[in-house]
Amino acid sequence: MNWRRLRTLIRREILATFRDPFTMTILVTVPLAALLVFGFVLSTEVKGLRLGVVDAARSSASRRLIAELGAKGTFVPQPFNTRAALEAALVAGNISAAIVIPPDFDRDLRAAGVARERPQVQVIYDGGEATLAGNAEGFLRTLIANTSAAVLADDGVGAGRGIEVVTRALFNPTLDGTPFMVSGTFGFVLSFLTVLITAVSIVTEKITGTFEQLQVTPATSLEILLGKILPMGAVFALDVVLMVLVAGLVLHVWPRGSVVFFVLVSSFYVLVSLGLGLIISATSATAAEAVQKSVLFSIPLVQLSGFAFPIRSMPRFVQWIAEVFPATHYIRVSRAIYMRGEGPITLLPELALLLLFGILLVGYALRTIEARR
Amino acid sequence: MTGRRRSFWSNVAAVAYKEASLVRHDKALLATVFAQPVMMFLLMGFALSNKPADVRWAVLDQSNTTLSRRLVQEIQATGYFVTPRPVWSHEAGRQLLLQGDALAFLVIPKDFRRNVERGRPQVQVLVDGSDPLQAARVGAYIGEVVARFDLPHAAGAVAGASRPPLAVSTAGPVDMRQRFWFNPTLLDRTFFLAALAGMLLTNLCMSVTSGGLVAERESGTYEQMLALPTTPIELVLGKLVPYVGLSYAVFLFATIAPGVVFGLWPHGSWLALILVTLPFVLASLAVGVFVSTLAHTSAQSVFITVFFILPSFVLSGVMFPYQFMPRGVREVGGLFPLRWYQIALRRIIERGAGLVDVAGPLLALIVLFAVILSAIRWRMKPRLG
Repeated sequence: MNWRRLRTLIRREILATFRDPFTMTILVTVPLAALLVFGFVLSTEVKGLRLGVVDAARSSASRRLIAELGAKGTFVPQPFNTRAALEAALVAGNISAAIVIPPDFDRDLRAAGVARERPQVQVIYDGGEATLAGNAEGFLRTLIANTSAAVLADDGVGAGRGIEVVTRALFNPTLDGTPFMVSGTFGFVLSFLTVLITAVSIVTEKITGTFEQLQVTPATSLEILLGKILPMGAVFALDVVLMVLVAGLVLHVWPRGSVVFFVLVSSFYVLVSLGLGLIISATSATAAEAVQKSVLFSIPLVQLSGFAFPIRSMPRFVQWIAEVFPATHYIRVSRAIYMRGEGPITLLPELALLLLFGILLVGYALRTIEARR
Repeated sequence: MTGRRRSFWSNVAAVAYKEASLVRHDKALLATVFAQPVMMFLLMGFALSNKPADVRWAVLDQSNTTLSRRLVQEIQATGYFVTPRPVWSHEAGRQLLLQGDALAFLVIPKDFRRNVERGRPQVQVLVDGSDPLQAARVGAYIGEVVARFDLPHAAGAVAGASRPPLAVSTAGPVDMRQRFWFNPTLLDRTFFLAALAGMLLTNLCMSVTSGGLVAERESGTYEQMLALPTTPIELVLGKLVPYVGLSYAVFLFATIAPGVVFGLWPHGSWLALILVTLPFVLASLAVGVFVSTLAHTSAQSVFITVFFILPSFVLSGVMFPYQFMPRGVREVGGLFPLRWYQIALRRIIERGAGLVDVAGPLLALIVLFAVILSAIRWRMKPRLG
């Protein structure tokens, strides 16, 4: 390894990158756009959900239940006179959930302790929107259980039923989706954009012939490789800092843990994914092929890495596949630092895995470049 | 007039023929066309779910009574949780949450049993808010079990037969009968697969056309086409026709595969499904063409395409319900054809809607197609002038 040669290669790469305004635009706008889009998109708060109500009881208890359901802004109760009208609205997608209160709701509720039928409340969800229905279910269940217990308690009937739960969400008390998505977006951008940019840049060099020129110079494969990924890595490290700042200033999400530690880990992860990009581009003949490979690779990246979907909810063998993606581990680390403020010591196993991935991928990239000379 | 019209269609057909013979030889493209649908289908059908499963949790049971143990059992009986990890202090539980080794932490206080008798029992649940979607649901599951936990019954069971069998009810004061329409077991699979065609077609249509014009410009065939007596619109339409055919093949795969494998056949009208697909495919193809008029090199068109596909997946509601999005963002999603197509798909496939029910989305798609087409015309004009 010759430092002077490496320096020249790095200089060349930086000049080439900065000369191309399009790449520069991509490097700045895409991370920021991804941050904003993902930052706003996920919210767990069920809010303003239209809830169809058929209140056949029209009693104080049923009215109280409905008022309680509408009180927190979670549901907007919309009265319907008949069940048929309610069902039609559900089919048309005008309401997301519906509740039917039977005529003898009050009587049954008060008599519930005395060997009588418990009042039946029917709840129907639009299961077509599975995520929405799943979240609404939780809210409705808890609200109905609590309200009916409270009605009874106020009446002095069956007081003391049920247990009061004090639920508190640590690390994110309002269960805001933004920090979750923001910390995951780092993983997405640093995995996908790095691979895509390297793939395209190397294939373009191959087409114009400058890559061959590089290979006939006395530079070794390692120097060519480092000359490619170090400057790119530096650019992406700047991207990380930029993203941290924008996430903090615009979305008000700052890492709970150490910013320096986060940037260091992220910069290292960038090198890992640049290695992957090198492998993809070294094995592709055309830019289109490289891009298609990167895009194909990005599908499992988004869906299996835990970025958007919980890994533990996947079948066992898919969980194993997910563990093989470096992105899975980086996203885990990123979330741990961002949201729970974890430090290097508790994260040691994940960091060691990332290091292992880095060595394997960069080593393999080196071999592919070597083999193609 | 008729002569003009005939030459219009024959020009379109000629360009279509040329484009179709190109597609047939593009191996990389065909690989994507076949590999991508299968991969997405497998992922959405088998792998993805938002439903919490195997949730790791910790319990600090300071009360350590039969009653408190029964509460823990009841929570576990919901089926979402693994066996809880017992901890002996608040700190230990918090540490598990901090390390991500537990998603929820239940604290049953020392005087739980006594408070049950007094009528003011309380338990504390700490959830890891760093995964809010899971936390919200897990919190709600626990909350619901605890809220309907039948104290007199449970306490009665503890105290043996000494108590009168006051509570015949087994669960809470209200019997809540719930049903999930259109998707009885609330499978996320149904949610994802219903929109599968939309995702695949967006990917396909955008990637096939976006590179097209740029590649022609790079190889010089664009100039040759300009020399022909074809108008820009004829050129564009001709280029789109073969892809419409390809798109319908992918569409059929995306509709039939979930039916064969998971029994998820469309509940509504096939005619409506096929009809609403046309303006969507045309609009998506047109967006691809528009992108290629913006880009100067193939690499650029690829980047622009990828970064159009991405927000359209995220904002349209195929993966995340758009009802959750804040006001402005929700409206931005309406600019993407995929938003309207997925609304139509879900209505037809899941809710069994007919043509009349999807008139709104259909109209929106046609309007979007018209707008994009005029944008293309505007972009291509100066070069042809």
